[in-house]
Amino acid sequence: MSDIMGLIYTGEMDTRLRELTAVRAIAAVPMLSRYRLIDFPLSSMVNSGIRNIGIIMQRNYRSMLDHIGSGKEWDLHGKRAGLTILPPFLLKDSVGVYEGFLDALHSNLPFLRSCKEKYIVLTNSFMLYQCDFEDMVEEHEKSGADITLMYTKEKGIRRTSQGKYCEVQPDGKVTQIEVDPMISRFDNTMLEVFCLRRELLISLIDLSTSRGHYHFTRQMLQTGVHDGSLKVHGYECKSHVWAIDSVEAYYQCNMDLLDAKNRASIFPDDKPVLTKLRDEMPTRYLPGAKVANSLIADGCVIEGTVENCVLFRGVRVGKGACIRNSIVMQDGRIEPLAEVDYVIMDKQSAVRESTRLIGAANYPVLITKGLTV
Amino acid sequence: MLRKKRCVAMLLAGGQGSRLGILTSHMAKPAVPFGGKYRIIDFPLSNCANSGIDVVGVLTQYRPLELNAYLGSGAPWDLDVTSGGVFVLPPYQTGSSGTWYKGTANAIYQNLAFIEQYNPDYVLILSGDHIYKMDYAAMIKHHQHHEADATIAVRQVPWDEASRFGIMNTDADDNIIEFEEKPKQPKSNNASMGVYVFSWEKLRKYLIDDEADPASSNDFGKNIIPKMLGDGCKLTAYTFSGYWKDVGTIASLWEANMDLLNDRPDIDLHDKQWRIYARNEGYLPQYIAQGAELSRCLITEGCIVEGTVTHSVVSTNCVIEKGAQVIDSVLLPGAHIGPGAHVVRSIIAENARIGAGASIGEADGDIAVVGINVRVAAEAVVPAGVQYEP
Repeated sequence: MSDIMGLIYTGEMDTRLRELTAVRAIAAVPMLSRYRLIDFPLSSMVNSGIRNIGIIMQRNYRSMLDHIGSGKEWDLHGKRAGLTILPPFLLKDSVGVYEGFLDALHSNLPFLRSCKEKYIVLTNSFMLYQCDFEDMVEEHEKSGADITLMYTKEKGIRRTSQGKYCEVQPDGKVTQIEVDPMISRFDNTMLEVFCLRRELLISLIDLSTSRGHYHFTRQMLQTGVHDGSLKVHGYECKSHVWAIDSVEAYYQCNMDLLDAKNRASIFPDDKPVLTKLRDEMPTRYLPGAKVANSLIADGCVIEGTVENCVLFRGVRVGKGACIRNSIVMQDGRIEPLAEVDYVIMDKQSAVRESTRLIGAANYPVLITKGLTV
Repeated sequence: MLRKKRCVAMLLAGGQGSRLGILTSHMAKPAVPFGGKYRIIDFPLSNCANSGIDVVGVLTQYRPLELNAYLGSGAPWDLDVTSGGVFVLPPYQTGSSGTWYKGTANAIYQNLAFIEQYNPDYVLILSGDHIYKMDYAAMIKHHQHHEADATIAVRQVPWDEASRFGIMNTDADDNIIEFEEKPKQPKSNNASMGVYVFSWEKLRKYLIDDEADPASSNDFGKNIIPKMLGDGCKLTAYTFSGYWKDVGTIASLWEANMDLLNDRPDIDLHDKQWRIYARNEGYLPQYIAQGAELSRCLITEGCIVEGTVTHSVVSTNCVIEKGAQVIDSVLLPGAHIGPGAHVVRSIIAENARIGAGASIGEADGDIAVVGINVRVAAEAVVPAGVQYEP
């Protein structure tokens, strides 16, 4: 059994993705034809041998529950370990809405205490990356640090003024942390992924919340780094990294993954990204189909032109319809002769016959779930 | 004591399927891939799941490894339940004896104890060689309604083909009055589909009697049904009118795949009310590259297509490189078609690799087959009708 457990936080402020997160948590946002964002950290954990995983739920977690189920698809439905869903918890001093990650951890202290693993990996759910957490914990052990944080040297990960950055010395020691600066002074973007000893986490949670701290990075970590009370190590993420922190970033990430090199970075051959199955039949390409540079899930029926697109399961593209540079989620319909360019269509939405809908590369049009245009 | 079940299904999956040639050199016929992401056995298993039958015994004998691994816990068909599930039932040794399954009836006879655990009212006998969607619950209802001892599913075949089948002659009330195996002068065109519902007490008695008869070849069609008929048991025919295809030969397997490519296929796999479930490993979505040309084809997860695919079925994890052409063909999982290769009227088996510029099959002529894991050299030629396995 692995001596590492995992904890995924899905309670991030999710207004940044506009209508995409009006009906679901960020972690449940559909991604790349057949996945949801949570599949990536969850599969990374499973592929790293982690068998005990908690998922902290916050707002609108119905679609998350529907997706995760018993954890069967990730082989997390066993008796000896598996998945624990941690819904909002009402204590005498909290109302079930978390102030921040640390607050969420505080509410789930009983769960953390009940576990037996030596190490814990904490991750958010709006970053897309691929990581071998065993390797991260090994480096953490060697460094002798209290906490190891993951960072990337890739530029332009965060497009908004929200972002966490750090200064990392050549020996890996983290000496400064910045939270949400307008312009960052450091090149290293934090992924908001951490590992540490489980027992240390429990005592840090207790200590920090007793001081009225609710934010993991901004209060606990930053204070610890700057006053020297915490020894923090930086672990560089080895894959490409995408932060899904805006509609534009979401769009760009999907488009970036049309590139085989980018896909290979997130989907190594021996580490499958697992997701809920839907048993759709293979996609049918009928006469009139013209498809180029697109990722397409099963269950689609294509009779029109599809170029530079990401199509989810059960999408229909009618005769003479033309869709380019777009993302169409599950069961979307593009009716005959419609023309769609730079559009994100949420689940079960439709573009009617002969309708034209054109967005721009830096501002894709977003059609909300279930809407017919 | 296990919970009583109204109906237990027994799926005969022991046949080699030798008419499928090199496609079954490594696996039993029911494990042969079909329709891009299914295997033949997914059809009877999904029919069971959709009909509310949750105990399925799968009788295996020939090369069971692939099939056992595929069935696993039965989770893909919702058969991983505590009160039932899918059970692989190979022949086994007992204290002093133990034999291979001698025939279809003997295979069930050897598993009487398995069925008895569930104390069922009915036993459904299925085979693993057909592509069809059928509501077994409706057939069982028919059986109950007629208070029959056995019900045999039949379908009407063209009259000129009737002499190739087991033909059921019935009266106006669906009662079977005569059974003729491959009659020269058929009196009806109701062909048996090899799907039977038996009242368990009756079947049990006949299986025991049949086993005691040294002259019997222990077969449902040859022995059990004629014997029951001769004894005056009540046998009824249940007419099935949907799509049904025996995929026991290379040609019929290829044809059944091609049937899926019609504008309105006779078997609708999009039907959400009657899904066909399959074990699914969760591959990447298919990637269709710039320059690919697709027309009337089925393509599924894990595929990368850079070439031309016309009127073909492409299974999971296939790669079709630039300039390659796949026409009127079936690619089984993991097949790799090299650049500029030309594949026409062919079945390319699992993980076969077709070298650059090779040419497989011909525009008219019999279906060419490239075997499992076989590598075809660049510029090589495999003519029509050849089963290529060095």
